[in-house]
Amino acid sequence: MIVGEQKPISEIKEIIAPYKKILILGCGTCVKTCFAGGEDEVAVLASALRLACKKDGKEIEIEEFTIERQCEDEFIQESAPAISRNDGVLSLACGAGVQALARRFAKSPVLPGVNTTFIGVLEKQGVFTEECSGCGNCRLDIFGGICPVTRCAKKLLNGPCGGSQNGKCEVNPETDCAWQMIIERLGILGQMDNLRIYVPPKNWQTSLSGGPRKLVREDHMI
Amino acid sequence: MNDDLKPKITLFHCINTVSEIGGFSLTGRDNFELHTVKLPCSSMVKDVFLLRAFEAGSDAVVVLVCPEGQCRYVEGNIRAKKRVAWVRNLLDEIGLDGRRLSLSNISAGDNGAASQIIQNVLKDLEDLGPNPAV
Repeated sequence: MIVGEQKPISEIKEIIAPYKKILILGCGTCVKTCFAGGEDEVAVLASALRLACKKDGKEIEIEEFTIERQCEDEFIQESAPAISRNDGVLSLACGAGVQALARRFAKSPVLPGVNTTFIGVLEKQGVFTEECSGCGNCRLDIFGGICPVTRCAKKLLNGPCGGSQNGKCEVNPETDCAWQMIIERLGILGQMDNLRIYVPPKNWQTSLSGGPRKLVREDHMI
Repeated sequence: MNDDLKPKITLFHCINTVSEIGGFSLTGRDNFELHTVKLPCSSMVKDVFLLRAFEAGSDAVVVLVCPEGQCRYVEGNIRAKKRVAWVRNLLDEIGLDGRRLSLSNISAGDNGAASQIIQNVLKDLEDLGPNPAV
């Protein structure tokens, strides 16, 4: 899932300062799971902003609404009446959701309330870790399902750097060494021979380094 | 706090720690409003409920929970404690002063302790003054 973190209230106050009527629009998918932009977070943020503005003597009307997914037009459509009633939209979705809204509602300012941080997993309750960089050329098959592009600080593709200690990365001792985990996992899977496979330098053109990417599925196009 | 103003306190409490708030007395202090919200477990006190109590005009919000290790639902009071700490930070951030929100662990039926907690909150409000967002 896409992991995000709500912006500090002080920054959000500045972002919404020019508007008198604002819609806080939540997204019920990824950002809900990471407690950044679901229905509950919309309610808390709306309440906190109302208190903050009232304290500062600023008049503002805040409406709350959450849709299932802000990155799909089909769901975005549900928010159209609420968006038309307000001067601006504070989106608590990821950057894709903010831009999908901006594309759909050309005349409404769409403002970000969340910092999109990474593609990750829920490691344990309340802890999210980055696991995928979206490099566009996945080789998790030979790495035992552990990505060195994302989880190795040096992005090494042909074995460990030799600097890790007790299974921890020398760059950040709080991080597990990705190569230690890869080797342990390959051992469990009986695939240690994978370590003999030479992985050539990565072609980063499939990553964001090649500019914004597009996926076209002709078979699903109408 | 101005003597003419009646402080307004909202009290969220677990029914396992205090069953009926009317059961304790606040001798000598009747110049305040006390709104109580009974919860089957303090873990049900969500962030937004605490904030909305302030939106509704409370000058202070108090959460009474069972002593740690004695929650009937194992960790409800721990969850409540974390949420209260989080909302206190939020109140500081928006300039309302996190000290307006407090959480106390009290033993079941210890109405004397509950009464003392309210007295302390009223005393704190003399310094904090009324809710600036009302």
